[in-house]
Amino acid sequence: MVQAIDLAKRYKHGRKPVNALDGVDFVIGKGEIIGIVGPSGSGKTTLLNMIGGLDRPTQGRILVDGQNLGELDDGKLAEYRLKKIGFVFQFYNLISTLNAAENVELPMLLSKVSREERENRSRELLGEVGLAMRVDHMPDELSGGEQQRVAVARSLSNNPSVILGDEPTGDLDSKSAKHLMELLWDLRRDKKVTFVLVTHDPLVVSKCDRVFSIRDGKILREIVPKQKEKIVSDEERLSMDTLY
Amino acid sequence: MSAPAGGGGAPRAFGGGGAGTFATFFSGGGSNLEQSVVGAIQNLTGVSTASPTFSTTGYVDGTSAFIEGIDPSTYSAAAGALNIVSGTDLSNSSIANQIVLGQSFATNIGLSPGMTINVGPNSTGGAQYTVVGLYSTGNSFTERFAYVTLANAQAIAGKPDKVSEVYVKADNPNEVSTLTTEISDSFPGLTAIAPSTFTGAAAGLAGTLTSFFTIIGLTALLAGGFGVVNTMMMSISERTREIGALKAIGAKRSQIMGIFMSEALLIGVIGGFVGVGIGLLFCWVLPSFTGAATTSRFGGRAGGAGGLFGGALNAAPTPEIVLLSLGLGVIVGVLSGIYPAWRASKMNPVEALRHI
Repeated sequence: MVQAIDLAKRYKHGRKPVNALDGVDFVIGKGEIIGIVGPSGSGKTTLLNMIGGLDRPTQGRILVDGQNLGELDDGKLAEYRLKKIGFVFQFYNLISTLNAAENVELPMLLSKVSREERENRSRELLGEVGLAMRVDHMPDELSGGEQQRVAVARSLSNNPSVILGDEPTGDLDSKSAKHLMELLWDLRRDKKVTFVLVTHDPLVVSKCDRVFSIRDGKILREIVPKQKEKIVSDEERLSMDTLY
Repeated sequence: MSAPAGGGGAPRAFGGGGAGTFATFFSGGGSNLEQSVVGAIQNLTGVSTASPTFSTTGYVDGTSAFIEGIDPSTYSAAAGALNIVSGTDLSNSSIANQIVLGQSFATNIGLSPGMTINVGPNSTGGAQYTVVGLYSTGNSFTERFAYVTLANAQAIAGKPDKVSEVYVKADNPNEVSTLTTEISDSFPGLTAIAPSTFTGAAAGLAGTLTSFFTIIGLTALLAGGFGVVNTMMMSISERTREIGALKAIGAKRSQIMGIFMSEALLIGVIGGFVGVGIGLLFCWVLPSFTGAATTSRFGGRAGGAGGLFGGALNAAPTPEIVLLSLGLGVIVGVLSGIYPAWRASKMNPVEALRHI
């Protein structure tokens, strides 16, 4: 479970103070798929980074499975990210000198998992994302959709509690994006992993259990399934203003 | 007796009769020393042997050469025997006009023991000499000296009763310095030089060369180190997003440092092996560039730069040198990688992930 209590992040851009997050409260249950939407600079990625332990709050608390991330030092945060979190980025961020299997093995390597176990698990995960025949391919030999699926498999390496996606479909065509979301949906069902996805993509929004709309560092509203159905039905006429 | 200071004879190993068993030094100078000085030096207290030499130039079988006249009965005792590799040394035998040639010189002009050749001050004419033996020094320059008896050399130069140098062997090696001073004082115009003078100068030169090459080497290491630092910093800059991704998936600072330090170590190891390989290759080809003395002056084929160095330069790489070079390459690589690896480990993952 992920819980934010009066979460804030303030910093200075030159002399000008910036409230990237300004008092955010939410609770995310285990196995939920949460979407975060908002205009550029609204604090979406900052919120994701807070949950992922990549950044520290200026105020408030962020708890993941009861652990207050603010109490962890840099080393403990790295360990938290390794064991509890999986990241899926817009531009995949695979290691270009490693093949698909080696990229998936990377978090396990950092966790000092044995070689045999790493290899077995990476092949298993790549099979689950539909890339069993591509395990030895280098990232530049894979399509965008395939690379993103490798990234998803990598994010699952250490059986995380939460997978954070920053525009996971941002660099994919609609067909690949659809396949990816179906994959995430299946994984949520099979592995009970919590997904928190920053997105501008209505397709992703349509797959979320709940959607947080953020503007100026605050959660303006939370869109629940009933309202989401309306969005889906009006998808073709959907405008970003309506969504936000 | 007055004579210009300084010797002009064939360079020979000091104490050539055996390492450290006796001290031998030159005494005399120029080619105008009266031969009678030899007896006077021999009669000095503490002198075991005094052996005269006469140096001149001439032609051996039409090829110009350095001609060294020696007294066969005393030369070996004072200056050390020639390393005869074929035939015999000069002797007081019944053979008149004997000549001993350097092996490489003889080979170049097609001479061997038993042959009769013309030797004289000019390229034509001269007297008939018998090649009785060939010697080797391992140095093509010093093998350009042709040895004849003292009287023969004097005759070739037209300077009877003249000597160029006197090799002196002391009864007691510890008395060399005293004898040197006594001879210089007793015979004005003569310069007595002990081997230690040359070895000291040679040691000094060697020391200077060592310091010079050490500075060159350190400069090269420093430049190499900066090169590694620069290369790694560029690599880190290009891989900023990768570093951010590694940190995002849970890599610790120590693990990031370990990755880049490993790369630096690998650069050092590869660089060390490549450097040693190039160095060994250079050692292998060095004699080709510095060997084969220029014999064109003597009518033979011109060779490499041996004339400049007095013969081929041979590098002698030892296992210790090779290991030291490898070790230095590794050390420079590792030390140079510390700062870049530290910078990578300190990167803020949020900023790194935003890097384009």
